[in-house]
Amino acid sequence: MNTENIETKVIEFIASKVEDADTSSITATSEFEELGLDSMDRVQLLFDAEETFGVTFETDEVKDFHCVKDIIDYINNHQSSSSPENS
Amino acid sequence: MRIVVTGMGIVSPIGASVGQFWNAAINGNNGVDRIQCFYASNNRSRIAGEIKDFDPKSFLSNKQIEQTDRFSQLAIHAANQAIADAGGLECYEPRRLAVSLGSGMGGFATFESSADRKFRNRSIPPFTVPRTMANSAAAWIATLHGLKGANLTCSTACSSGGNAIGMGLDLLRADRADAVITGGAEACVLPLTIAGFEALYALSTGFNDDPQHASRPFAKGRDGFVMGEGAGILVLEKEDMARQRGATIYARLAGYGCACDATHIVAPDIDGQVAAMEAAIQDAGITPDMVDYINAHATSTPLGDVVETNAIKQLFGNHAKEIIISATKSMIGHTIGASAAIGSIAAIMSLQTGIIHPTINLDEADLECDLNYAPNTALTKSMNTVLCNAFGFGGNNVSLVFSTPII
Repeated sequence: MNTENIETKVIEFIASKVEDADTSSITATSEFEELGLDSMDRVQLLFDAEETFGVTFETDEVKDFHCVKDIIDYINNHQSSSSPENS
Repeated sequence: MRIVVTGMGIVSPIGASVGQFWNAAINGNNGVDRIQCFYASNNRSRIAGEIKDFDPKSFLSNKQIEQTDRFSQLAIHAANQAIADAGGLECYEPRRLAVSLGSGMGGFATFESSADRKFRNRSIPPFTVPRTMANSAAAWIATLHGLKGANLTCSTACSSGGNAIGMGLDLLRADRADAVITGGAEACVLPLTIAGFEALYALSTGFNDDPQHASRPFAKGRDGFVMGEGAGILVLEKEDMARQRGATIYARLAGYGCACDATHIVAPDIDGQVAAMEAAIQDAGITPDMVDYINAHATSTPLGDVVETNAIKQLFGNHAKEIIISATKSMIGHTIGASAAIGSIAAIMSLQTGIIHPTINLDEADLECDLNYAPNTALTKSMNTVLCNAFGFGGNNVSLVFSTPII
């Protein structure tokens, strides 16, 4: 997946997980807080993202994540060449 | 103080509402089939009473589904029904609304799947602990319905739901609550739980190609219990308050008795069973000859059904032959921590309708099981007092007495 594809896929993925927000307006700069995701929602979101994108989030690195772009950048930097598990 | 049942809800292998369940039960429908939820060919027992077509999306959001084990989802579904059935609980202060729930295994499906992931060095779902903990079902029921009083969970293996209902009765009698949502839930048709009960030689293994005849309490040729899953929930209230708010009263929960064998961790013991039934009857302020019907624990194990039969004969004497007994597990298998709650609903429906559901697969009774078990066909009888038994590993014995509400 190229960088642009990953951004689109991550936004689509987050839109599928957010229940109480206008998903059509989600962009890379959308903050988790404005999407109504509390701290436990974010942990669940990252777990699901691991399954979907075939990455493993390191606890120390994700604790400061606050917007969609943080996930996109992380996946861009860490995604292996192997196929994602569930995509 | 009189305590009454004002609401009921159920999810079972033969129906996901009280009406569906009862109609299926009195017609002797069978909910036991080959296991479908996992590939069971490696298990020696490959049959179960599963709830098919259960869709939590009809009452939970995707996020709530991610955060709940199947046993909690079953409990929530049954509790939603029971609370709607009772109606009007909003007249009570939220701090006076309690939950008392039973489950033998809790969120074992979550435990099993997360353990499997961890052993393969994969990350585990963040809600592994809150999904697995035994009190998660009670907590979810409280959260979804704003029940801010005591929130208790009882785990006494196969008698969990019975103890939970008894604890609910105690909460009301002690004036620690005005209404209690109580019962049991279980969802452990799983590779590891099946294997675990297999290892104890507790499960039926001889009917894998004939699942409809596997759960056969009191019958010749029975070879162990069949795993089941489900949830049963009752709403309990003080009679005077229930009448004041105009609630429909299904039955009076008149008595509760429990006793521990303190002899063996898994083997049943006649003395404990007699003690529990006797205590419940005394608590109800009645005499044994007043009991019209027993919803038996009757799991279809070779030993258990004989011990329960002998316990009933020892306590009730000549009256034992006058009592009609039936085994709900013959149709749905053994729902572990939910079984006493589901059995209680069956017993209450018998009081309500004058109909006793049959014990199916009882063409020929074991010679040592020589009481009236309502074989294969529903019976009608005018009843005032019924008793529900639940016995569990750990030597736990529970009996509940329900009676017709006195107008």
